[in-house]
Amino acid sequence: MDWKRFILILAGGVSLGFAWNAFSGRGIVLGQSVLVQAGDELVKAPDAKALLDKGALFLDARPRDFWRMSRIPGALPLPEEGFDKAFPEVEERLRRASTIVVYCSGYGCEASHIVARKLREKGFAAAILDEGVPAWQDAQLPLDTEPRP
Amino acid sequence: MTRLANPRVQLALRLLLGAFFVYASLDKIASPAGFAKIVYQWQVAGPVPSNLVAATLPWVELLAGLLLIVGVWRREAALVIALLLVVFLGAAASVLARGIDVQNCGCVSVAKEAVESAWPPAWARGVGWFLVVRNLLMLAGALAIAFVRRAPAEAAGRQRAMEQAGFTPAGGTGA
Repeated sequence: MDWKRFILILAGGVSLGFAWNAFSGRGIVLGQSVLVQAGDELVKAPDAKALLDKGALFLDARPRDFWRMSRIPGALPLPEEGFDKAFPEVEERLRRASTIVVYCSGYGCEASHIVARKLREKGFAAAILDEGVPAWQDAQLPLDTEPRP
Repeated sequence: MTRLANPRVQLALRLLLGAFFVYASLDKIASPAGFAKIVYQWQVAGPVPSNLVAATLPWVELLAGLLLIVGVWRREAALVIALLLVVFLGAAASVLARGIDVQNCGCVSVAKEAVESAWPPAWARGVGWFLVVRNLLMLAGALAIAFVRRAPAEAAGRQRAMEQAGFTPAGGTGA
């Protein structure tokens, strides 16, 4: 076994990867989450709790069954899948809300970002709970676990 | 062991592994953002390390796969593949142990449509026991290429062919 060759293969692959990322036009911004796009406003869990206490409207972008099982207190379901169908159900509440926060399952979950962008297209500014429900739970914040129909 | 040392078996292993890893790298190279999202969903690394993996890993796969196919630095390329597979297996074990539902492992395709399509079936594209068994088999193949020496019969055959062609080994006693 020639360990120099072994290292060369690894180093060559890594170098090609960085070069492709820099010059191909398909690259990603390495220093931030790939889910974040221009215009996305992220809010950390403790700050989101402060917004909740001030009456912010929370929207659950996960599939509706997840919302039925548990949710951030007072959150309404607005799942990414079926957004167009669910939107009229919450539209009136959105118009009355001063602050809107969208969340999903965290860890690579893109649903909250997508729902927030769709809301923005409809004229509603919505912040995104950074890392979603897991971050909320990690911050020892409460979930409403009463089953909903 | 002797079967694994057979040159034809070694060639087949090289071509199969090489082709798989070249094929597996292409969609990831074409869509680094899609692959980065999937790496992040494994919950093994944060967003920034996931980006670094997404940007570089497919190129290591491509390079090692191509070297295996053409037969250049084949043992070292096989060891690189083996290293990748050990990392993948460790990550899959972590995902399974924590009960995380990763619907598309990102092994071959990173397209969101891959999750919604009927083929391949969910058990073949997610992180589950199929992935673990497949990776274990490929790891065995990669280690066989890296560490099993070619059969002595092949060397003897080469020597006979050289002698028939009129060559004699250096220091030999050929008349």
